[in-house]
Amino acid sequence: MNRNNLFGHLALAVALVILAAFIGQMRHMQWRTHDKPVERGKTEQTAEPAGDKEDGDEAEGTDDQDKDEDDAEVLVRFRAGTSPEAIDRITAQLNDRVEDRFEQIASEEMVIADEDNLDAEEVAAEYRALPEVLYAEPNGQIELEPGEDAVDGGPGLRPDYVAGADHAHPSDPMFDDQWSLDNHGTRGGTQNADISALKAWEKTHGSEKIVVAVLDTGVDYTHRDLINNIWTRPANMPAYIDKELGAFDDTHGFDASDMDGDPMDDNGHGTHCAGIVGAEGDNNDGIAGVNWHVEIMPLKFLNANGSGSVKDAIECINYAIARKKAGVNIRIISASWGSTMYSRALEDAIKRAGEEDILFVAAAGNSSTDNDRRPHYPSSYALPNVLSVAALTRRDELASFSNWGLKSVHVAAPGAEILSTWPDNQYEEHSGTSMATPEVSGVAALVLALNPNMPVKDLRERLINATDKLPALSGKVASGGRINAARAVKAE
Amino acid sequence: MAFTRDEAVARARADLAGRLGLAEKEIADESVADADFSDANFGASRADEMSAQMITPGWRITLRAGGQVYEYRANRNRLRLFNFNGANHRVV
Repeated sequence: MNRNNLFGHLALAVALVILAAFIGQMRHMQWRTHDKPVERGKTEQTAEPAGDKEDGDEAEGTDDQDKDEDDAEVLVRFRAGTSPEAIDRITAQLNDRVEDRFEQIASEEMVIADEDNLDAEEVAAEYRALPEVLYAEPNGQIELEPGEDAVDGGPGLRPDYVAGADHAHPSDPMFDDQWSLDNHGTRGGTQNADISALKAWEKTHGSEKIVVAVLDTGVDYTHRDLINNIWTRPANMPAYIDKELGAFDDTHGFDASDMDGDPMDDNGHGTHCAGIVGAEGDNNDGIAGVNWHVEIMPLKFLNANGSGSVKDAIECINYAIARKKAGVNIRIISASWGSTMYSRALEDAIKRAGEEDILFVAAAGNSSTDNDRRPHYPSSYALPNVLSVAALTRRDELASFSNWGLKSVHVAAPGAEILSTWPDNQYEEHSGTSMATPEVSGVAALVLALNPNMPVKDLRERLINATDKLPALSGKVASGGRINAARAVKAE
Repeated sequence: MAFTRDEAVARARADLAGRLGLAEKEIADESVADADFSDANFGASRADEMSAQMITPGWRITLRAGGQVYEYRANRNRLRLFNFNGANHRVV
């Protein structure tokens, strides 16, 4: 190698090092750009325009980061219960991939990125066509959560919490499956065949000053969607004293089947009913009750099999009356049970509750029979504080199992395929006038949240008049209609 | 203790044999079918019972003895005899 050749090689080497350093710096700058946090609801394309590729590696598609930016993204909400495996299978079949899951909102909600060069609207259309999908829209068009600075009620308060907001849609991830509150017409349902909860929530989400006694199999008062809405005996209120058996530590209610102060649910039915009345709403968890805020007093007289005696039912009613007299604002007893056996003692107990301004909402029964001809108790007691409830399907039809009665059944409410809380932090769908009853109890509690001093007679009358007349109920129930929460709270 | 559908049928047959004073071999299985009952007591509450008004899945078991048909209602935990001499009975 001669001297001139040596200098030439050195110059070439220096030039290559400088060029390599320059390319490296550009890549580093690009990575820094990717590191910037991306706001939810915006795609990363806004951080770096598509097409600004820096070298041949990216053009060949070997850089996953840039590949993400070019892919169309859609926000997909799968129906509750769709398994992660099923979601993975669907996305693979459509040649897509799951980009991000929003576990804190709903495990079924996620961003999906397309990998076969469709635009976002085309990808969304693919997903909308699937029965497993609740909705799918191009990413950036759906606002998952309200902006933190767009609050009417002060810093840190979600706008949906503010009564009077235009859209009172709660954050509870299973809310879209609660057709009784907001019926989208899914699963063969009829759109708006619901109790108009969204409209009602523009006026009130309920009040913890209203106590609803759920007289049932008990309530799982530790359920995470109920725990904040469970009644607790005030510290300054002495424990309950039964004349024969002495004092009970009734911290969260009363159990007449075991005669103790622990009304824990060992069946599930009572927990389901309690969730319909008042599962905590807008808490990013599970479902929403008719009342987002309320106090549920668990009263247990039905055993683990869902069966109980008249005597124990009366014990619980007497407990509620005693607690009312002691200052607990029990205004509603929700009774999702019954039989064809008439009991004067039970009737008298319910009458005494009425004298304490307590509304007694009762299931009409599930025998597909006419209660005017074959009464079902306690719903058929002709007392001024008893409100009897029939059940409707998601198509606004009287449920095939539901009892009716032009004179003795007063209103109807959604009662088929109702999703609600179940013991051990679970959720289940069940059907029955059992489920329709707490819908009405919940609406009654909403009315009382706005009108805490309304006498039981006026409350009952308000509920009977706050119905949507339905052809299916003509000649079947006294009001001829489905309970309408919005009308009951005069939101419409 | 939970039992299977076949065990429910066997318990029903034994119960009916005892009530009728017959040998079990004289009880014939008529049919067993899935059913949705009207309440937690399978629509077979006794006179002194109240029942949760939730549709409850289970099995309808019909047996034949002495020319009569008898109906039991069951699920994995409970067994009831429906309308036997005008009354319902809790077996398990």
